[in-house]
Amino acid sequence: MNTYVPILVLGALAAGFAIFSVDMARRTGPKRYNRAKLDAYECGIEPTPQPAGGGRFPIKYYLTAMLFIVFDIEIVFLYPWAVSFDALGLFGLVEMLLFVLTVFVAYAYVWRRGGLEWD
Amino acid sequence: MHLAYPAVLAVLLFCVGLYGVLARRNAILVLMSVELMLNAVNLNLVAFDVWLRDTLHAGQALTLFTITVAAAEIGIGLAIVLLVYRNRGTSDVDKLTDLADTGTLPDSGSASIAPATDNPADTAAEQALRAREQTA
Amino acid sequence: MTGTIHSLWTTAADSATPLDKIPTPKIEYAQLSPVLIVFGAAVLGILVEALLPRRSRYIAQLGVSVTGLAAAFAAIVALAADGYASAKSHIAAMGAVAVDGPALFLQGTIVLVALVAAFTFAERRLDPLAHGRRVDSFAAQGSTVPGSEQEKRAVRAGFTTTEVFPLLLFAVGGMMIFPAANDLLTLFVSLEVFSLPLYLLCALARRHRLLSQEAAVKYFLLGAFSSAILLFGVALLYGYAGTISYGGIADVISGTAKMTPALANTTANDSLLLIGGAMVVVGLLFKVAAVPFHMWTPDVYQGAPTPVTGFMAAATKVAAFGALLRLLYVVLPGIRWDWRPVMWGVAIATMVIGAIIAVTQTDVKRLLAYSSIAHAGFILAGVIALSPDGVSSVLFYLAAYSFVTLGAFAVVTLVRDAGGEATHLSRWAGLGRRSPLVAAVFAVFLLAFAGIPLTSGFAGKFAVFKAAAQGGAVPLVIIGVISSAIAAFFYIRVIVLMFFSEPQPGGPSVAVPSALTSTAIAAGVAVTLALGVAPQYFLDLAGKASVFVR
Repeated sequence: MNTYVPILVLGALAAGFAIFSVDMARRTGPKRYNRAKLDAYECGIEPTPQPAGGGRFPIKYYLTAMLFIVFDIEIVFLYPWAVSFDALGLFGLVEMLLFVLTVFVAYAYVWRRGGLEWD
Repeated sequence: MHLAYPAVLAVLLFCVGLYGVLARRNAILVLMSVELMLNAVNLNLVAFDVWLRDTLHAGQALTLFTITVAAAEIGIGLAIVLLVYRNRGTSDVDKLTDLADTGTLPDSGSASIAPATDNPADTAAEQALRAREQTA
Repeated sequence: MTGTIHSLWTTAADSATPLDKIPTPKIEYAQLSPVLIVFGAAVLGILVEALLPRRSRYIAQLGVSVTGLAAAFAAIVALAADGYASAKSHIAAMGAVAVDGPALFLQGTIVLVALVAAFTFAERRLDPLAHGRRVDSFAAQGSTVPGSEQEKRAVRAGFTTTEVFPLLLFAVGGMMIFPAANDLLTLFVSLEVFSLPLYLLCALARRHRLLSQEAAVKYFLLGAFSSAILLFGVALLYGYAGTISYGGIADVISGTAKMTPALANTTANDSLLLIGGAMVVVGLLFKVAAVPFHMWTPDVYQGAPTPVTGFMAAATKVAAFGALLRLLYVVLPGIRWDWRPVMWGVAIATMVIGAIIAVTQTDVKRLLAYSSIAHAGFILAGVIALSPDGVSSVLFYLAAYSFVTLGAFAVVTLVRDAGGEATHLSRWAGLGRRSPLVAAVFAVFLLAFAGIPLTSGFAGKFAVFKAAAQGGAVPLVIIGVISSAIAAFFYIRVIVLMFFSEPQPGGPSVAVPSALTSTAIAAGVAVTLALGVAPQYFLDLAGKASVFVR
């Protein structure tokens, strides 16, 4: 049990600091609201109007999401390679470069055919 | 913990997915059920991998491939279902009955068939053909 | 739980080998060159799509596809001539892919089929001109709603879906690995690699787009379902044997493998082997369209664009039967007393049901679909023989059948009216009077399907039934001959309809194809007659290629 005490202490300290800073900011900071501040946060871009009553979303959301998932998942193959990089050596490096190259071909296709353009 | 627990859980998950594929009518829910079946397989694979102490970790490698293939599959599947939804306004698989053993022309008088081209001459000929088939 | 068997949570530090002990892998690129060439051509095709301007894509894609497939075939012939089909056959890529007789024979067949299919994909003279441009059988832009303003714009701008060529090549690459796969991982990945492009190709018809999309949804849902079943079987087999390599699993089944306590614990459980093997076989039977897993076939064959249907019907069957053969002959011969009775039942049901339902069909594409189901049953009869003769007869049958199918579907693309292809049988009445040549060619294909002497169908059926009878399956052969007779009835009926009934007024016309489709049909006729008149050379070739490497 003793070995876990430092971790618990660290966790308590971190949580305490987080609560303290948030609380202090709220008590001491000035409050000047404007429209941009009160808007929903969407990764720093202009928020898209939500369809009323859970209606339809434009198709481009689907496209972007699917492209993200497909390209994101490819990365999973880099992990086992990274773990056993020593054992695989130059062979592994070359094969991995070929793999990344084919992913880039797919990327080039998507890019050139306008799959990455929002409008 | 014995191997039986994850194995039985995987079978249960697989059967839930199987039930979903057979009982659900919405194509999206059928897709989700297929995903559930694939994830049941993943659970099985990693459980066997740990149990067998596989030095080459074939089970884990297979799991990675399953995950990627499932992502690609779902991307393509959703695209196809989406096309159907945009054309028909429904993704109910029970309503996809244009292709069936009916013994009649599948396209006779069916408004769901788009003209081949937007060339007016073709379209007129096609409509004439359809009208003739309907009267015949 | 005894002390020797660990639990799932105990650390594996004692038994695990350090990571640097894994053998450095090596890949025999030269022996895998046919597949690599096809995949390379496919990737090149994607680059063509990305980088070339629209108007030069069609010719570039056709060039890349034809060159790639021809080069792959040359590589296969070179490998076979080098002895990889017999003496030097071995397992390449760290046990993942077998380079042996059946693999090379089936890869050669698939590549040739794909080459001919690429011609039918590229055909641009059958549809009427759209805004002064020649168009092929594929949608101007797959994502548009038929009849919408967006589609009209796409047609006016002369868009074409030239992506079908890379998709074709990816599917071909997957199909080439499928019968050569020597572990379960490769089996699963190659299954998906050839299935996913096919789902997309199904949805891309220029005419009757809604039917085409419906076919794609049905194919996709059932295909994904069947691959999930196959994958669960793979997991169970892995649990049973502790390895995913075909040879390793066969060793565990025969009891010659080295056991660890944990492995002995799961290997003692025969149900893992039986259920796992059954599920993998079910996944493959879905792909070969055997009863009771055939429901998707007629709908998909009817809805898909006809060039795609021809390719799919021919090449998928070759690839899937190749994988089924290797699985049953390399992995599961140790439990043949368990699977043979089941496969007997499947073969009988497939032959009989395929033949009987085909009789009631009124659509040419559906008729050919049910006939392909019946043929799957005949081929299964050869698979069950479990002898070298069985393998060689199946190889020969697949080669013969695939070219007949491809040619028959190519003929279907020619018979057209204003609504596109006229696939209803009643509209084919009297075709022989108006277009004797086309009707005669189609009659040759139908006679080959029926198994009339001097066509490839007869030689194939004879070889398969002979192997089955020698393998002790005489009742199966009798049922096979009876259902051949039923099947022959409806093929002959179509021939009678074409030649001996009055042409309909306003019936379909026969479009004059370009050299592309003509080549495809001519290749089909040539192979059908060559394999029918002089089958011995090809039977010998298949016989030489009938030994699986282990």
